[in-house]
Amino acid sequence: MIAYIAEIIPISFSDYPKEPCCVIFFSGCNFDCGYCQNWKIKKQSEEHAIDIEKIKEIISKNNLITACKISGGEPLLQLEALLEIGNFVKSLGLKFGIDTNGSMPNALKKAISLLDLISIDIKAPLKMERYAKITGLSNPPLSSIIESLKIAIQSNAYLDVRIVVIPGFNDSIEDVKSIVKVLKELGYENRSSKSSFTLMEFVPENAHREEFRKLSNTSLKNLMDLASSIELSNVKIYHRAFPITL
Amino acid sequence: MSGVEFMTEILLNHKSPPPVRRSDGLIEKFDKEKIVKSLLKETQLATILFGVPPIEEKIARKIAEEVEEDIKNMKLKFLSGPLIRELVSVKLLEHNLHIYRNVYTRVGMPLYDAYLIDQSEGYESRENANLQPNPETFHKKKADFLSKESYLLMMPLHIADAHLKGDIHIHDLEYWGTRPFCQDHDLRYFFYYGLMPDGTGTHTSVANPAKHPEVAILHAAKILGAAQTNFAGGQGFFNFTVFMAPYLRGLDDRRIHQLAQMFLYEMTQLYVARGGQPVFSSIQIEAGVPKVWQDAPVVYSGRILKDRYGDYEDEVHRFAIALLDEYIKGDAIGKMFNFPKPEVVQRVRYWNDRGFEDIMLRAAQLSAKFGSTYYDNVIPAYRGGEEGVSCFQCCAYSFSEDGKSEEFMKKIYFENGAHFSMGGMQVITINLPRIAYKSGGDEDRMYEILRETMEIAKEALILKYNLMVRQYERGLIPFASQRPKGAPPAVDIRSLVLTIGFVGMNEMMQHMTDYELHENSEAQKLALKVVIEMDRIKEDFIKETNLKFAIARTPAESCAQRFAVADIIHYPEFAKKYVKGDLEKALSLYGETKDLPIYYTNGPHVNVSAKIPIYERIRIEQRFFPILKGGNIFHVWLGESNPDPEAIMKLNRKLALESWIGYWSHTKDIIVCRACGFVGGGLYEQCPMCNSKEIKTYSRITGYYQDVQSWNAAKRQELKDRYRIKP
Repeated sequence: MIAYIAEIIPISFSDYPKEPCCVIFFSGCNFDCGYCQNWKIKKQSEEHAIDIEKIKEIISKNNLITACKISGGEPLLQLEALLEIGNFVKSLGLKFGIDTNGSMPNALKKAISLLDLISIDIKAPLKMERYAKITGLSNPPLSSIIESLKIAIQSNAYLDVRIVVIPGFNDSIEDVKSIVKVLKELGYENRSSKSSFTLMEFVPENAHREEFRKLSNTSLKNLMDLASSIELSNVKIYHRAFPITL
Repeated sequence: MSGVEFMTEILLNHKSPPPVRRSDGLIEKFDKEKIVKSLLKETQLATILFGVPPIEEKIARKIAEEVEEDIKNMKLKFLSGPLIRELVSVKLLEHNLHIYRNVYTRVGMPLYDAYLIDQSEGYESRENANLQPNPETFHKKKADFLSKESYLLMMPLHIADAHLKGDIHIHDLEYWGTRPFCQDHDLRYFFYYGLMPDGTGTHTSVANPAKHPEVAILHAAKILGAAQTNFAGGQGFFNFTVFMAPYLRGLDDRRIHQLAQMFLYEMTQLYVARGGQPVFSSIQIEAGVPKVWQDAPVVYSGRILKDRYGDYEDEVHRFAIALLDEYIKGDAIGKMFNFPKPEVVQRVRYWNDRGFEDIMLRAAQLSAKFGSTYYDNVIPAYRGGEEGVSCFQCCAYSFSEDGKSEEFMKKIYFENGAHFSMGGMQVITINLPRIAYKSGGDEDRMYEILRETMEIAKEALILKYNLMVRQYERGLIPFASQRPKGAPPAVDIRSLVLTIGFVGMNEMMQHMTDYELHENSEAQKLALKVVIEMDRIKEDFIKETNLKFAIARTPAESCAQRFAVADIIHYPEFAKKYVKGDLEKALSLYGETKDLPIYYTNGPHVNVSAKIPIYERIRIEQRFFPILKGGNIFHVWLGESNPDPEAIMKLNRKLALESWIGYWSHTKDIIVCRACGFVGGGLYEQCPMCNSKEIKTYSRITGYYQDVQSWNAAKRQELKDRYRIKP
């Protein structure tokens, strides 16, 4: 089977909670986010085509990892390849996870039994105009995203809900609170498995659109203030200055 | 009246040479007899150093007469002692008396260079990144220059030439005649006999053995500081947490943390070593009491107790936690403690007994935050498993006693003061790519040249050994030779290791096989063969001399660059193909400076920029560890700013239990912004928070952390080239 894969990071210490993992970047995305750092792999190209057997070989040679994560791009766009790799990864006794924008609940449902980690990016408060501004879509699939959150919340996987906090776009306390409210309504707090809510630093360099490249990065203080205003357990911060500067 | 004013007043005199301004501050009439006398006296050194009889009086007189004649013809307005000496030296060379010239010449430096040193520029301003600009450093640079020049003149010409041409590199040349290399001290010695920082008790006060925990901590810090004045390289304590533990009984965690903090501050603020640098230090952190120490009697406050170290498992554990916590916290502005290097010992028990997970996790947290942890893995069989005593010292040289030696148990039981003294006498590095170039690509010839080069290193090392034994026996290395209360000497000088290191296995393979180490399994096989051959030659040396030779990867801070530059001069057609770094820039700067951004790859390591997954690099590099008992290191270059400590811990577990790697560290590049105070991970041109260019970047140069701005051009280039975990 052929998959479109732009890059593999053989080992990462920051993509899977508590596990050294390899990260596989599927190319192709159905969003067009202005702040995206991986926009160069938004389009699948023939250069990315690779036989899945090759990927399996690379994973099985890697004796240092305890997990494997598919990122992208949007991994669920290549569901068959994802399932194939997921089954293989699990057969090796490794943990398996994905990054997703939550726009494909049906695909997520099919993959859910394989997943030990679901990391969902929430871009903004779940309102049409707000989401449209960041994702570059005129009609962002909000109901699908809510559906995906529901599936993830009801699953046994570790769920990490992530927000890249972009100054002037989604960095107000009200914005983050409105996202938290949706999560709570969907039963996020009653999950039996582990969850985390991660506030991430926005990095302007290499952003997709000029408008975003001109912004400054999120300040650590901004993230800290947001984190302390949220009434959820396990709120995490991902910032280049953290945890060193505190 | 100053000499300069005086000199300018001296009038022309065509009939006889003008008066002489002597370097001891006097002005005298020229007298050729003085040349004769000094030649007769000083060429006696030719006998001492080279076994050549001193100059004959008849010849000396002839030289002096010719020099006088030359001076008259020069019609000089004034003369100086150094000038006459150079004229005599030239005359000696004209008469083909180069040995006499060697011992008769002056050593020193051009005035211009001396001037630059005070401006923190010029001579070796970037050779040792641990030296920061300050008045002590400038003084040391001048002394270093003079020392190095004099030692090169004092050693046999073929050894000096081999160094100057770049066949070999004599490390710490400025200390060739005065200091052995490094030492891992046995704290029990000082807890039993007390502290005499000068080694004799004549210039410094003499302290009884520490009774109180604070004093034990301060003594520990001062031992390393005092020892540093006698040694060229790193100073450390093996088994640090175990030997300290008896002083910690009954203390609460707050006090133990306070003591740990005190030690780290002492070691990073005693800014006094060798020209104003912190002591280059390391401590071995055991999480518990190792098997060999379980039944050993405790040495405490001048007494040998009935207690056994095994009774202090809890204190050892708590002290290890406290030290790691304080390292993780950093200093008052949140900066890392770069010394003493924390060497966290890896044992099967520490990984299998959940009770030690708190230590292993903290070690990983420290790696994740600052990258400062070193992992000293004694699990692989070649490290002696659990049976021996060993340590990794300063720049990842390794020393050990394997538990089979006769004296071993006496040392464990501190019988009559018997104790361990592990360390290095001297390191000499050989230039492997050069050997490949000389061989013309012929493997058999390569082994021959390898042996010839190692023979020169051996000869130099024996010379050093004899020099040091002589100095030591005359009491000229007094901290090392001290014998308080009739104790055995603190340092057993004869047991120090003679290390032959190497640089550029990767480039050697490139020349021999056309492939870099990471590109081809034949290159890897041949590299192993070369290391095994080096090991065999080393064994021959041991049999022949009964001295402790070892083979090691050199933590080449300056010599990876020096060899590359030397080969650009002597073997340009090859070196231009193989040196790493920015060749184009190096060639454009060549002629202006020798601080060029080119280098050879350290030891048997894979090209730092090789884009291969880390497990592949482990597979290649771990095979060298069992052979390189003299020391090696595996670098994990972290590219990410926020690695997950638990993920790092899981990798550490695999490296400890499933690899042959005896020593590794995770290197994280750290920036500190002077303007806004930001401290974070990553390499930046300007502060990512406030865009200020007033930033300091810290990274691991070869075996320790230091400010990148003080690195030499080659190492700064290497930093750019490193292929990181997550670029």
